[in-house]
Amino acid sequence: MSDFMKPQYLPDSASYRLLDEIGVGVSATVYKAQCLSIDSTHDHYHHHRDVVAIKAIDLDQSRAGFDDIRREIKTMSLLSHPNVLNAHCSFTVDRRLWVVMPFMSAGSVQSIISSSFPNGLSEQCIAVVLKETLNALSYLHNQGHLHRDVKAGNILVDSNGSVKLADFGVSASIYEPNYSSPGSSSGCSPSLKLTDVAGTPYWMAPEVIHSHNGYGVKADIWSFGITALELAHGRPPLSHLPLSKSLIMKITKRFRFSDYAKHLDYKHKKFSKAFKDMVGSCLDQDPSKRPSAEKLLKHSFFKNCKGSDLLVKNVLNGLPSVEERFKKSKIVSDGNKNEIHNDGEEVESEGPIVKQRRISGWNFDGDCFQLEPVFITMETDDADSKLDDSVSKRVRFGGESIIQDRGSELAGGSDESSLSSPCQAVEEGTLSGGRSGVECEEEFVVKPVEFGGETIIQENQSESGGGSGESNLSFPNQSEEESQVDGGSGDRGDGGVVDRETMVEGLMALKKSLDEQRQEVDIVIGMFGGEVIISREDQLMQVIERLKMELDHEREKRFELEMQIEFLNLQLQGLSGNGGTD
Amino acid sequence: MRGLFKSKPRTPADIVRQTRDLLVYADLNTPDTRETKREEKMAELSKNIRELKVILYGNSESEPVSEACAQLTQEFFKENTLRLVIVCLPKLNLEARKDATQIVANLQRQQVQSRLIASDYLEANKDLLDILIGGYENTEMALHYGAMLRECIRHQTVARYVLESEHMKKFFDYIQLPNFDIAADAAATFKELLTRHKSTVAEFLSKNYDWFFAEYNSKLLESTNYITRRQAVKLLGDILLDRSNATIMTRYVSSRDNLRILMNLLRESSKSIQIEAFHVFKLFAANQNKPLDIINILVANRSKLLRLFADFKTDKEDEQFEADKAQVVKEIAALEPRDRP
Repeated sequence: MSDFMKPQYLPDSASYRLLDEIGVGVSATVYKAQCLSIDSTHDHYHHHRDVVAIKAIDLDQSRAGFDDIRREIKTMSLLSHPNVLNAHCSFTVDRRLWVVMPFMSAGSVQSIISSSFPNGLSEQCIAVVLKETLNALSYLHNQGHLHRDVKAGNILVDSNGSVKLADFGVSASIYEPNYSSPGSSSGCSPSLKLTDVAGTPYWMAPEVIHSHNGYGVKADIWSFGITALELAHGRPPLSHLPLSKSLIMKITKRFRFSDYAKHLDYKHKKFSKAFKDMVGSCLDQDPSKRPSAEKLLKHSFFKNCKGSDLLVKNVLNGLPSVEERFKKSKIVSDGNKNEIHNDGEEVESEGPIVKQRRISGWNFDGDCFQLEPVFITMETDDADSKLDDSVSKRVRFGGESIIQDRGSELAGGSDESSLSSPCQAVEEGTLSGGRSGVECEEEFVVKPVEFGGETIIQENQSESGGGSGESNLSFPNQSEEESQVDGGSGDRGDGGVVDRETMVEGLMALKKSLDEQRQEVDIVIGMFGGEVIISREDQLMQVIERLKMELDHEREKRFELEMQIEFLNLQLQGLSGNGGTD
Repeated sequence: MRGLFKSKPRTPADIVRQTRDLLVYADLNTPDTRETKREEKMAELSKNIRELKVILYGNSESEPVSEACAQLTQEFFKENTLRLVIVCLPKLNLEARKDATQIVANLQRQQVQSRLIASDYLEANKDLLDILIGGYENTEMALHYGAMLRECIRHQTVARYVLESEHMKKFFDYIQLPNFDIAADAAATFKELLTRHKSTVAEFLSKNYDWFFAEYNSKLLESTNYITRRQAVKLLGDILLDRSNATIMTRYVSSRDNLRILMNLLRESSKSIQIEAFHVFKLFAANQNKPLDIINILVANRSKLLRLFADFKTDKEDEQFEADKAQVVKEIAALEPRDRP
């Protein structure tokens, strides 16, 4: 009756021997480990030496709030389903939380694909993986839980071919710890996600639960449909991309230039009608029209679904081990560790426009593969992707509209200044587009560094000429100077092209920022009578923030243009081939 | 009867009664019954519990109906169903346990004729809370009982009972249990007890000041366990900064021992702990009636403290924090060493 609890996994670090690192991120590392525990909770002593995966989360660095971690761990320990990765136990080891989980020796389906099946899996294998995943989803949804991050990277396979859905929020993102820069000021994206998930449990008010069930469950189905495409093509289709930078980064991280050639020839890959139909139903724009997990399980696509030995024979045979794959990816991508654990939390961020986009691009006769070049253009700055992630989160914090408005490339390190971006963006628009972001960055990077230092304030003043004393201290002010550098007008109010609303919005944000800066300076002056120490680190941080913004914006612009072109291409083909779905 | 259920013509009260009968059966360890029969009954029990949950929470097809919820609640507390559920919980399977926990949680908020009858029931059956709290000592039951308990202490009388009981002392140990999920659950309950019902908490802390803060300091703030210290200093800030605890705060920040502990926490290498410790430390500095020994400690450590604060920043920009810091720096900078009068 109580066999679902596993007291033999002791909450004590001495009971485990760490073997290999199999995943790493800023605030978490995943290890393969051996369990050495002696079961003393039962009357009989009982040795066992099985292998487990241990995710060690640095609680001091983790972006997720402590309460969120607690809720997720709790949720995990109360789940019990053969297709859901649960936690054996969890305990703290100094500042780290160790979550002990079953070791899934073949790793994630995403890692299997990128290591050995760049063109995707066979339809039969896909069916097995998807069916098991649906079992898990059906269980979770019945329990009132949402997964919220269904993707191949979170579907794990064991050597016997068994499939488990992992990454239940923060606790189980085995093999895929969230990679995000600590100390980034926004933190909104992951924490939003966690809070949302944590709002799911039944002990919340019924109406809260209902909105989750109604909306959220079908969001998982959508992701499931995208995952199906990911398995079929080796990567999520472009139509999956919302116009958010994180997802752009996610894709760039996953694809290398060298992969491109390999991808060229598989656009002729054929898929059965049942498969297309099944996936199509998941990707219905209207959540209520998407089938439930339970209903999907009855779809004809899963009728003749084989057992897990099919995976053993066709997929796992000859596959390099998780450890090897991790080591290899570490060498290949060096600093770019995100490859194995991109963060997919933006999935929920899809606004209506984005959805529209996804749907429009959704076309099963292979057209989406023509969007490949997008990945190439994005390829150059792999090493910076860590930075980009945090930036994109910050930008998104300002709301979709800002992104739409060309982003906040001039926004400084603070959230407020990103709010003022519409104004800045317009000015920026008058600047030359062809310059290298980095070069240009060098020029005004100095300014945020100067903030707070008195002598520098003077220098700053002389440089910007007409600016008032206070505005020199503000981040948005940099946009002013920037336009001067490029020969534009230094006056913010001068942008005749700007529509009134955008202008007012920008000015308001600027005003707010100015006030804040002034306050800050007052405090500083009040504190030390002029003796201000700004640590070198902070200075560098500010520089980096700005560099990130700049780079990121350039990328987004490029990407959007490419998207536009490809989107038009798609439509053209759709018209001529009449093959599109609605 | 009218269409409250898709196919079954049973009223919510019927289901409660059947559940109760089955719980009585489950509670009795009748050795002579055949195993298969017992399994059947247990399966039926699980099914009934699931149905109760659906009435209270609705499902993907239907919203809960308040009338049905009221009927269910009334019948539930008319007899000893809650006691049976709590007592029999270890005999249920995992899914039924989770369902039952959710039912108990939900019932705490259900009103019948604008009365929270769950509160009345618990007041008359306080020993049930002893069982729930004791759950922290049982790895298998802890999370279920813990979740129930946290819902029960939403009622002020229940919270008062727990605060004033001997159990309160045990929480200092539960919080540090090795299993993180259980320890964290106990910590969440502990926090709820000490923050939810302001007047009750203030009364409890005044009456129990000495032992409570002695334990709090030695077992939690000076724990060797990182997460315990971190949570404890955060909670301490929450408690002391609450207006209703003003007198307790004044008392706390007049103690040099307390100051010493907080200063040690300020020196920790963990940023999170440092920041939380600052929010308590600032109260010592801001106190306009600082005792002499507090002043002297602050003066003696002035340069160290000012140096510490000079580099002290939150990850996020935090105006309030900066303002507080400036204030603290000002206070400390202005302090004059004083002799005893």
